Amino acid sequence: MSQFIHILPVLTVLVAAVALMFMSMYQNKFSVKTYITVSSIILVATLAFVFVPFGETFSVKPYSSIFNNVLIFDTFSNFFYVLLIGGTLFTLLIGEHYFQHRSYFTGEFFSILLFSLFGMLLLANANELITAYVALEIASFSVYIMVGYNSEDSRRVEAIFKYLVLGSFMGAFYLLGVVLVYGATQTTNLSEIATFIANNNISDMPLLYIGLTLILFIFLFKISAFPFQQWVLDVYRGAPMIITAFMASTFKIAIFSFFLRAMLQDIKPMIGFWDSIIYVVIVLTLVFGTWLAITQKIIKRMLAASSIVHTGYLLLAFIAIGKNIDAAYAIVFYLIAYLLSALGSFGLVSHIISETKVRVTYDDFKGLAHERPFLAAMMTVFMFSLAGIPSTIGFMGKLYVFTETINAGYAGLAVLAILATIVSVYYYFKLIAMMYFYPTNEKCMSNDFNDKRISTYAIAFLAILTVIGGIGSAIVFFIPALNIDTLIDLTQISIQSLLIK
Amino acid sequence: MSADILSFIIFLPAVVAFGLMITTRHVETVRNIAFLATTVILALVLKIYIDFEPSAGMQFVTNVPWISSYGINYYIGVDGFSLTILMMIAILIPTAYLLLWDGRTKGYWINMLLVQTGVTGALLSLDVILFYFFWEIMLLPVFLMIGIYGFGDKVFTTIKVTVYTMVGSLLMFVAILYLGVSYFNEFGSWSFQYDSLTQITTLSYNEKIWLFLAFLSAFAIKIPIFPLHTWIMETYKNAPTGAVFLLSSIMAKLGVYAIVRFMIPIFPDIYVEFSTWFVFIGLFGLIYFGIAALMQDDLKRMFAYSSASHLSFIAAGIFSLNEFGINGALYLIIAHAIATGALFLLVGIIHDETGYKTIKDLGGLAKQSPIFTTVFAIMLLANIGLPGTNGFVSELLIIFGVYEFNHTLGYISALTVIIGASYMLWMFQRAILVKREAGEDLKFRDLKIKEIIGLTPWIILIFLMGLYPDIFINKFEPTVTHYLNDILQIGATK
Repeated sequence: MSQFIHILPVLTVLVAAVALMFMSMYQNKFSVKTYITVSSIILVATLAFVFVPFGETFSVKPYSSIFNNVLIFDTFSNFFYVLLIGGTLFTLLIGEHYFQHRSYFTGEFFSILLFSLFGMLLLANANELITAYVALEIASFSVYIMVGYNSEDSRRVEAIFKYLVLGSFMGAFYLLGVVLVYGATQTTNLSEIATFIANNNISDMPLLYIGLTLILFIFLFKISAFPFQQWVLDVYRGAPMIITAFMASTFKIAIFSFFLRAMLQDIKPMIGFWDSIIYVVIVLTLVFGTWLAITQKIIKRMLAASSIVHTGYLLLAFIAIGKNIDAAYAIVFYLIAYLLSALGSFGLVSHIISETKVRVTYDDFKGLAHERPFLAAMMTVFMFSLAGIPSTIGFMGKLYVFTETINAGYAGLAVLAILATIVSVYYYFKLIAMMYFYPTNEKCMSNDFNDKRISTYAIAFLAILTVIGGIGSAIVFFIPALNIDTLIDLTQISIQSLLIK
Repeated sequence: MSADILSFIIFLPAVVAFGLMITTRHVETVRNIAFLATTVILALVLKIYIDFEPSAGMQFVTNVPWISSYGINYYIGVDGFSLTILMMIAILIPTAYLLLWDGRTKGYWINMLLVQTGVTGALLSLDVILFYFFWEIMLLPVFLMIGIYGFGDKVFTTIKVTVYTMVGSLLMFVAILYLGVSYFNEFGSWSFQYDSLTQITTLSYNEKIWLFLAFLSAFAIKIPIFPLHTWIMETYKNAPTGAVFLLSSIMAKLGVYAIVRFMIPIFPDIYVEFSTWFVFIGLFGLIYFGIAALMQDDLKRMFAYSSASHLSFIAAGIFSLNEFGINGALYLIIAHAIATGALFLLVGIIHDETGYKTIKDLGGLAKQSPIFTTVFAIMLLANIGLPGTNGFVSELLIIFGVYEFNHTLGYISALTVIIGASYMLWMFQRAILVKREAGEDLKFRDLKIKEIIGLTPWIILIFLMGLYPDIFINKFEPTVTHYLNDILQIGATK
């Protein structure tokens, strides 16, 4: 029974995904609202299962006779469960408005969304390269389909095609990498690879090195680091807005869950070898991402391009792991910060355009603050957080990442990242300026916009979390539970559970 | 309770502001409540000022963990330096409210309150991360104020001023983190308190210079010191009166304060070594901005240059390495805040009433508004340092300081004061005294009773500080002496 509780969340999501698939056969019987309600309830229930062993330190490989140790359940995966399920849940809640105003969202969409969640959860548990691949592909294929969902937009074809082809291509690289690793070590199990690395001289394993580096490529591809950032703008542009939010935040976290585990638990010596590669990747990611972001006129593309810059920040902490483990906490914290702000900002834009479709460029956002002051205020909070302005969680995230980067001896990279941040102030604040300092853009007004919706409350909740994550402890005198330290403690416990042998 | 009084002073405006944000009350109610909050703060600060022991140490200290995994604390306290500036802010802001009283919107007052929280918080923070936190926070309301209530090409101005000041702040942010990491590597635990950071010994000479410059970039942009001043012209011209007042008379001073509070104790040797350069740059700025002010036709721009000129003078005093210079600089911070603050607000009134703000469009105001002219003249004379006003005492002290530092530079500083007198008096003659050249006389009202009440404490302060400097200098002198003794010793031994 105790082992069953660990696999219960994944199982629930899988069963729910299948059940929703069957439900969607009866198109006319259920409304989109029903699907949203059902999926949300299931996700809340799953979250409850996750919280049963939450906060303790454990590491188990349940039913090893069946699973043959390919799956591992520990505090780390549990922690990522909360983020992934939470991210999906918020995607649903924020998208409530959007889904209802787009006729192409039908029942099976929610089934696909849950399938992708299933894949991501499995990825957080993967302890073996092939399992990780299968999990990654389950998640990816669901995302490919969701990217192409917008049947009203001709750009979707380009988006889905680009993403699918490139993704599969990178998948082939991954498999080639696995083959080489297997050739070198006779195993694909991460723990056994770790033992192999520990028992052999580093310089005797060229095959392993090449293999793992090929595997690194898919990681860089999925998180859209240079030189694999080409697809991001077009794919994000062609995908439905809310899917963009999902990809930028939740999906990115899932990728990190597996690679952090592999990196910290098993193949840590590799990071010394990758050091210079990642160094160059970071520099170029920051430079290209920043350049792309300032040249955009469409808000969605600007947010997409800026997500590349955030990838750069994350990699900054990733490279620092090689020198000290504390950087791993910084990554996890930054992921949380980015999840909140990205989901919030993308979600807010999708919420605004759900009825009209005209708020697309910077100019269209003129005067939003006069028309909808609360939405503009929340957007401002998310922009502040993305730009790393104090009092938001984004500032905390940057504080940790930069501190650890400097601590690991990469002060030069930290300065470069700061320069990227300075430029980011320009493109984030430009949006705020548009919302507040101009008269309302007449042609973008919509009179029958109903603000009292679940989406609005979900976004407001994210905005509150964003602020509390930034100043939580400053009001510690009044509300002791809202402490940033608690969050850091949780990330530390989760990371440390990886080191249980 | 006495320890929490500072937190109360910091957060009261923000709490009131958030309260007012969600009310739907009329703008006048909002303004009255905001004004009430600032007067409550003034009363509390007066209490602190009276209770404060004129000795070197920190008082009213609160030190509780904030982000304990990185040793970041909510660490606030007050000493002679910050007390003087705290007092100044507490008096200036309510008076500014009185002068800005009519015709503003709700957001204007809410932003003013938020700025007060940011400014006071930055002033009282003794943990550098906390300081950085408030330092950035105080910029955001000003960003909104310029963008919403500004004139001309306000959007460009806001973006420019924001990016400009962020460049400095973020460079400082890296430097702060670097110091924190150095402390961690040396002592094995995290701390960002300014007094822990002073204990770091492992930094190499080159590292120190880079860190020093990173810190300086943040403060020099805010002050602004030549050549990092290019943002102020558009900003002062296009920003609404309240924002100009806050930027010039309060935030710029915090830049100077931060140099004394953080940079001098953390990098005493670099401070000593490069002082000649900075005194020189300060005096150059004094002359450069003075000449630029002479050539301005727009009143706000003229005061912007004049303000920059005086701030350069303050910077020269700070770097002159002796008690005269630093005392004088601190004194000039107050004197300049009062005089320039008042002048910007009075120009704001001229602009609101007549619609003009260029010298050639104005003229003949003296006839219609004797009280206004008198007050204007007092502020002007205080600004150029007429004996008997606080400006005189501070300029004299700084000139002594610079003279002691280097005789030649001392002579230059004494002579350049003339430039200030000439542009101010010339402007006064053209804009206020003589008859208007173009067309009929302008319609202009005299000061209202509310505004006179607001300005009275400033005028009293100007003369009190000018005639009996001791009562004020006594409060902060022990701190300065302590600072100089310690730092010059450390600077000399390192």
